[in-house]
Amino acid sequence: MKIIRTEKLSKIYNHQSLPVKALNQVNLEFETGEFTAIVGPSGSGKTTFLNMIGGLDKPTEGQIFIGDTEITSLSDSKLIDFRLHNIGFVFQSYNLLPVLTAKENVSFIMLLQKTNPKEMDARAVELLKQVGLEDKMDVRPSKLSGGQQQRVAVARALASKPRFILADEPTANLDTQSAFNLLDIMLRLNKEENITLIFSTHDQRVIDRARRVITLVDGAVDSDEQFER
Amino acid sequence: MKVLLKISWLNVWRNTRRSLVMIVAVSIGLWGGIFVSALSSGMMLQRFDLSVKQHISHIQVQNPEFLKDRHIKYGIADWDALKKALQADPVIAGFSGRTLAGGMLATANMSVGISIIGIDAANEASTTGLDDNILEGNYILDEGRNPVLIGKKLADKIKLQPGSRLVLTFQNIEGELVSASFRVAGIYQTSNGIYDESHVYVRQSDLEPYVGEGSTINQVAIVATDIEQVQALGDRLVKQFPEYSIRTWDDISPELAYLQEMAGMMLMIVLVIILFALSFGLVNTMLMSVFERTRELGMLMAVGMNRKKVFAMIMIETIFLTLMGAFGGMLLGFVSIQLFSKTGIDMAAVGGDSLNDFGFPSVVYPQLELSFFFFLMVLVIVTAVLTSIYPALKALRLKPAEAVRKE
Repeated sequence: MKIIRTEKLSKIYNHQSLPVKALNQVNLEFETGEFTAIVGPSGSGKTTFLNMIGGLDKPTEGQIFIGDTEITSLSDSKLIDFRLHNIGFVFQSYNLLPVLTAKENVSFIMLLQKTNPKEMDARAVELLKQVGLEDKMDVRPSKLSGGQQQRVAVARALASKPRFILADEPTANLDTQSAFNLLDIMLRLNKEENITLIFSTHDQRVIDRARRVITLVDGAVDSDEQFER
Repeated sequence: MKVLLKISWLNVWRNTRRSLVMIVAVSIGLWGGIFVSALSSGMMLQRFDLSVKQHISHIQVQNPEFLKDRHIKYGIADWDALKKALQADPVIAGFSGRTLAGGMLATANMSVGISIIGIDAANEASTTGLDDNILEGNYILDEGRNPVLIGKKLADKIKLQPGSRLVLTFQNIEGELVSASFRVAGIYQTSNGIYDESHVYVRQSDLEPYVGEGSTINQVAIVATDIEQVQALGDRLVKQFPEYSIRTWDDISPELAYLQEMAGMMLMIVLVIILFALSFGLVNTMLMSVFERTRELGMLMAVGMNRKKVFAMIMIETIFLTLMGAFGGMLLGFVSIQLFSKTGIDMAAVGGDSLNDFGFPSVVYPQLELSFFFFLMVLVIVTAVLTSIYPALKALRLKPAEAVRKE
């Protein structure tokens, strides 16, 4: 089932002064359950593309459909609500709330969704178990390693039951072992629970495990390859 | 909301030292404001109480002609009738009929212009407590022939002491100058040095032979049991004795009422200035907090925390920070007021007798009404809310896509 579709997606920065074309007429589609890596050199438009399909930035031209919803036409407040219920994010720098414990960080997004407290608690515990942090539930991020923090971020991204997860260079700050652990968890979630994962990455370890690799060059799709893994 | 409160509370303590510095700054600022307000309020209230008690009383009754031309001949026409009415009124705590004469006080070395007040010593004591103000010598209740009470300032100026002799010269009813010899029985001191320097008290019975045929009461000072009753009492007396000028304390001394109003206004201005100054510190603290958390705020907006909640979070943090400081300041203020309201603060050390010259007591007892603290709390909350707007708007202007990647 198609989950994301972009049509002639373009983004030009500094439109008035010195225009920089970050994305140029990108047409892409993503199916449910994909494990996709978006790769390309620095400045190729990977992050811009992720921002566009994540509803964090608006394109200069083109349309983005998430399911049946054309998100570029949504107002800011509707877009925030749309993100809350449909998209999960994993950031390069984890971006956990340092004042909350691992479990509270995971629960927080469900609180924003006004989930029933019992269900919220059970889901937070379950998700942290899935990412192998059942013994770190009441620990604050400052007491966790980078890899553990990123696993909490993955659990948080899953907490809202999103239609897909966008991960921007999720392994960039991790050592090799932590990166492998994280990728194992993400692959397992993808295979067992059919969770759609889209990465922007430079990391060959991620690229080697992706079943689809889209290469962007100068804001345009250079290649789009599928792999049996 | 509960989660927002919790996160905001925890965020306040992320940088403990910075938050504590701000809380202490707010506390000390408000403490200073509160204590200065209490001092000023205490000073004004004491001045009011002492002026009313020692000098003007709550109500004065006079012959209207006396107010135009302060001649001793303009007295209360039917003193007995007025006296009877005053004695019968239950809200009157005391009254004193006085004979007033302008004149000269002369000693062997010096002469000065003064006001001579002829009193019924017992009534004056129960009305103004003049007997409580005697510093040296005795009150003139049972003294021998022609005793006089003079103010300390006058006594110091012309070097008189109890037992000294002096001559008072004044006009009688006919307008002729008469002189009589008096002996200093006692030296009094009120809260107003200028008054003490220019007023002497003698017994009416000693003045009568010199003033002329029949006694003349030029002024009746009345003290009510409760200041709240003064206006009604005044209205009643006006109806009962339309032939007299009947004035309440605020008519007699409008500057007293004005001073109280002005003091209230000054207190507000001082507090608003303090809070205004503190608000810059608060804005700075919150801006630093927002800038330090750019990535985190970007993440919150990215994952779906709406702008209202982000705004509320920053606002709640500012309110927490301000309220903690405010509570500290109020507590310090309350405790210090309680402490000094018993012992008083002797301002003579810094102002010499100059405070006393303007009718202010030199020992000030700070005091503030409880309602002031409630009002202050409202003012603090308003300041916190206003202060939080700028940092909160800064947070809202963040673009999540850029904010989450900020180094």
